[in-house]
Amino acid sequence: MAPPIYLDHAATTPVRQEVLEAMTPFFGARFGNPSSVHRWGRDARTALDEARSRVAACLKAQPDEIVFTSGGTEGDNLAIIGPWRMRRAHGRNAVVTSPTEHKAVLEVVHQIAREGGEERLLAVNACGVITPDVYEPMIDAEVAVCSVMWINNEIGVVQDIPAIGAHARSVGALMHTDAVQAFGKLAIDTTRLPVDLLSLSGHKIGAPKGIGAMYIRRGTPFEPLFHGGSQDRGRRPGTENVAFAVGLAVAAELQLAERERECARLCVMRDALQSAIMARVPDAVVHGAGATRAPHILNISVPGTDSESLLMALDLAGIAASGGSACQSGSVTPSHVLSAIGVSRSLAGAAVRLSVGKMSTDDDIARVGEVFPSLVEKARRLAGAA
Amino acid sequence: MAGRRVLVAMSGGVDSSVAAALLHTQGYEVIGATMKLFCHGEDLPDRPCCSLDSVNDARRVCQQLGVPHYVLNLESAFGRDVVQDFVDEYSRGRTPIPCVRCNTFTKFRDLVRKADALECDWIATGHYARAIDGELHRGVDHGKDQTYFLWGIERDVVRRLLLPVGHQTKAETRAVAHRLGLDVIAEKVESQDICFVPDGDHIKIIRRELGGDTPSLQRGPFVLHDGTTVGEHDGFARFTIGQRKGVPGGFASAMFVIAIEPDTRAVVLGPREALMGRGLIARGVHWMCAEPRAVGDRVSVQHRHRATPVPAEIVRIDGDEIELALDAPLSAITPGQSMVLYDEDRVLGGGFIESGSRVARRLALPILASGV
Repeated sequence: MAPPIYLDHAATTPVRQEVLEAMTPFFGARFGNPSSVHRWGRDARTALDEARSRVAACLKAQPDEIVFTSGGTEGDNLAIIGPWRMRRAHGRNAVVTSPTEHKAVLEVVHQIAREGGEERLLAVNACGVITPDVYEPMIDAEVAVCSVMWINNEIGVVQDIPAIGAHARSVGALMHTDAVQAFGKLAIDTTRLPVDLLSLSGHKIGAPKGIGAMYIRRGTPFEPLFHGGSQDRGRRPGTENVAFAVGLAVAAELQLAERERECARLCVMRDALQSAIMARVPDAVVHGAGATRAPHILNISVPGTDSESLLMALDLAGIAASGGSACQSGSVTPSHVLSAIGVSRSLAGAAVRLSVGKMSTDDDIARVGEVFPSLVEKARRLAGAA
Repeated sequence: MAGRRVLVAMSGGVDSSVAAALLHTQGYEVIGATMKLFCHGEDLPDRPCCSLDSVNDARRVCQQLGVPHYVLNLESAFGRDVVQDFVDEYSRGRTPIPCVRCNTFTKFRDLVRKADALECDWIATGHYARAIDGELHRGVDHGKDQTYFLWGIERDVVRRLLLPVGHQTKAETRAVAHRLGLDVIAEKVESQDICFVPDGDHIKIIRRELGGDTPSLQRGPFVLHDGTTVGEHDGFARFTIGQRKGVPGGFASAMFVIAIEPDTRAVVLGPREALMGRGLIARGVHWMCAEPRAVGDRVSVQHRHRATPVPAEIVRIDGDEIELALDAPLSAITPGQSMVLYDEDRVLGGGFIESGSRVARRLALPILASGV
């Protein structure tokens, strides 16, 4: 059997060799605790500070504006609850977000509502985009923080974060963006970007799972969620994961250095895949097709099929893809993102997300472009026979 | 069928785990699948079946075998075909048998569709039953036999059914599990409850699905066969035919539930003798044998899980309705439960019990009258 093909880079990516090598010393001789006074501590502290500076540089930020986290979910939690708790007493009790956000944002906003905050959800259009006529009246002087994902993790749609952020600023609201999918795909310059908080995750860019970073612009009101230490200026107490922070820095730099070339390569592959599928399954529906899309995500529904069966058939054929949001048990449930953009339940239940990345090759795309339509044809024959 | 690809329904328990392992050893291309049928969320302590831990156990077994494992979300279909029917049956004063409907609809219809989509030649489960030449037979271990719950499967599904543990005893199954290194699973506690009914409390499910003010949960009278009211109960859904628990005392002999009348919400009581019936009417009859039986044919009928079957004669067949005359009386013939017809170990077919027939009533009443 041909080697398996990984088309789920939006879910996670393998740790890059350079990253692994950079981390290795910190699992051995350089094991110190950065808070210790002795030489081991100093050595670890130096490495941590350097990693922080390097991650900051990737965002054109200052080192003290970077907080290391365990990943995207923690970053999203901190970035929304942190400022809201500080500002709610000052007449800013509302939090704004959209229904197409990652659960790490949506659930946080629901939690804030349970704690007495006001939840405001921005409607998205059929392409998944939030337009000014929707967000301008919703983001007002009562808003503590507005959180919008830059690149949607399921359908790849890009939101106009500079414009939404500029409006949020103009009314004194803080702007947060979940940039987990965007980092390494879009240029991010915090000196120009009207964003106060930004979260990113290591394992989407070749660093290990369990590390991420949050950018907090200087002067942003912020109350920590954890207590018990002065690490990361008290914003995220706990002994720092030096090895992973170093890994994140290396991965981020590599991602940035390769960004333009890699994005162009991914875009060609994604488009080729989309064309190959559409040529043989002309009634397939590409979600978010009418909007600006990230180069690496293709979310497609084939009427008359279901994602569960298609994903299994793809897996058995050696192709890794994903469906809607996977629940804890691993079963597939229809995506809240697709429901939010008005996709019917049956079509949403047929969605498959294919995401290209570092491991993808033209040969992969050619093979998937063959196999995917043939699996669809088989599934339809069966459905027709039943 | 020439192919060797088999979809194995895996609950995470010892029987289906061993079934998967045995088929894998026999050279089948095994694909494991765990059906997610309902979601209790976080508010339930671990249960032996269908919990998240069970999914994880099944996945671990597959990982150990080196075969793929998938979780199939069948929640909405199961809710419609099984859970909804379960509460509706109680509302009608009957005692449902959800495992039969789960097997008939969820496992051996919806799951089979998934198997087709994956181009599986075979379907396998960990049931104690045997599929021989397209017909279903009792499992070798009669103490564990599960054919009572399997009579609703379509014949063309039986033809592609593999039931590896049906050919061995439970003790042998556990031994195989140990031999294969599935030690944790080998000693798992067996589930006896209905999987979606937490702590065996079906009232909770009825309340959740139909609301607390549903008639089957309202107060109603305990009455004797002649209509005399002898007490009050707090919901006829709490009772089943033959039940003694929760029934008022103070009679010459112990009293049992002999009927439930949803229209008046009455629970009818009578002595043990009144439970005996010499006839049985069932509906939704499904034949599993190549040649369906006819009026006048002799069969062996089982009316409860683990009950001893009795010989009977078919006296009437009307569409999907059947009436049997029993050679020996059966106790507590309960509407909503299954009756399964056998020829020795071979399953001929089955149906849902509608009532003990008029024959039964005529015989029962005089005894009842003299007893009270």
